[in-house]
Amino acid sequence: MPHKQQIDPKTLLRCSVCEAVNRDREGDVYCHRCGSRIFRNPKLSTSKAWAFLITALILYVPANLYPILISEQFSSHTGNTIIGGIILLWEEGSYPIAMIILVASVLVPILKFIVLLYLLINTHLKKQRYSRVGQHRLHYMTEVIGPWSMVDVFVVAILTGLVHIGQIRVIAGPGATAFVLMVLFTMFAALSLDTRLFKEKEPYGRDQSTDH
Amino acid sequence: MAQLPREEVALDRLIICPKCHTIHQKVEIPKGKSAKCDKCGRILYHYDARILDHGLALGITGLLLFFVSNLFPLVRVEMLGHEQHVTIISMVFSLFENGFYVVGVVVAFMVFIFPLMILVVYIMINWLMMQHKGAQLTKELLVLLSKLLPWNMLEIYLVSILVALVKLIGLMQIHFGLSFWALALFVLLDIYLSKSIRIGEFWELRRRIYYAP
Ligand SMILES: [Zn+2]
Ligand SMILES: [Zn+2]
Repeated sequence: MPHKQQIDPKTLLRCSVCEAVNRDREGDVYCHRCGSRIFRNPKLSTSKAWAFLITALILYVPANLYPILISEQFSSHTGNTIIGGIILLWEEGSYPIAMIILVASVLVPILKFIVLLYLLINTHLKKQRYSRVGQHRLHYMTEVIGPWSMVDVFVVAILTGLVHIGQIRVIAGPGATAFVLMVLFTMFAALSLDTRLFKEKEPYGRDQSTDH
Repeated sequence: MAQLPREEVALDRLIICPKCHTIHQKVEIPKGKSAKCDKCGRILYHYDARILDHGLALGITGLLLFFVSNLFPLVRVEMLGHEQHVTIISMVFSLFENGFYVVGVVVAFMVFIFPLMILVVYIMINWLMMQHKGAQLTKELLVLLSKLLPWNMLEIYLVSILVALVKLIGLMQIHFGLSFWALALFVLLDIYLSKSIRIGEFWELRRRIYYAP
């Protein structure tokens, strides 16, 4: 139930560290409760988010081209890329596992790229098409589903540690390194996005508070 | 801190939904109940009168389970008389041995170092607040805790163990170790802890304990 107070709800921000409600001030915002700098210069954080996202997009290429897993049986080496591994599982009839890896390693990263690209492009538009609430929901969603893209990396790590038995050995492939870095950079991109830029219609910067 | 306390008080009566960003006025709720966002249904806060007792008990249980899950093998495989087992630590070491330092370091942080830090920090916060000690320290620990939380990926790791094992079915015999079950229990507890810690509740409690009555 919104109260009639002298505080304009449009200038309110949520501290991502302690959840306290803060008043928006242009540029750097320090939380009144936990003291964290919760927002920086929006231009700087937008460029940072772009840099992280582009790095992640570039890393996505080697992550898919190089094998994520290499199995050595007797004297033969076979490298499996992410997609190759999914096809193999599917052919072997492990449909649920093939689906889990498809969702976690292929769909989640792609979805996250699309959402972050969309949100970032939106911050540059004067008039945003999508509602502010909708943008916040999308951003929240990327933070929730994002970490699940680590499934395949963990699988590779477990197999590397576990399967060194007799003449059979499984080790990680170079794709795994690229994939891990890609996940990290997408998470950094989502974290550095300035959510103050999710606005309904008005362009940013209408705060006339007297700040130090 | 150069702000009007009156504005702070007014601001602290509000809460913003982390999911849909709707602004709500906090209301008093009965014991054991929780307040939900009326737009999207996400839980905003709840009223647990013994939040610190519960937090401390859960934290210590978690720490015990975490130790058990790292002491014994998670999984053992057998094939033609050969045997091999894996623990979280041995997994990280074999990544290093094979030259996968980046993967090894990232995985070690996500499934070992961060979960352990979260537990220790969480226990310390609950204990300090119970003793009414360390006003400044609890502030720093709470900030650290909320920065650590998104990087804990143990529940994803548990699912990954199962996915990895499915790939081995037919090739070798698989035995779950004691640590696997400890880890599974720990993950359940961890999901409850990490995903349901309402950091805001601790901050409010902190203000009540160390500052004005
Ligand atoms: Zn804060
Ligand atoms: Zn909501």
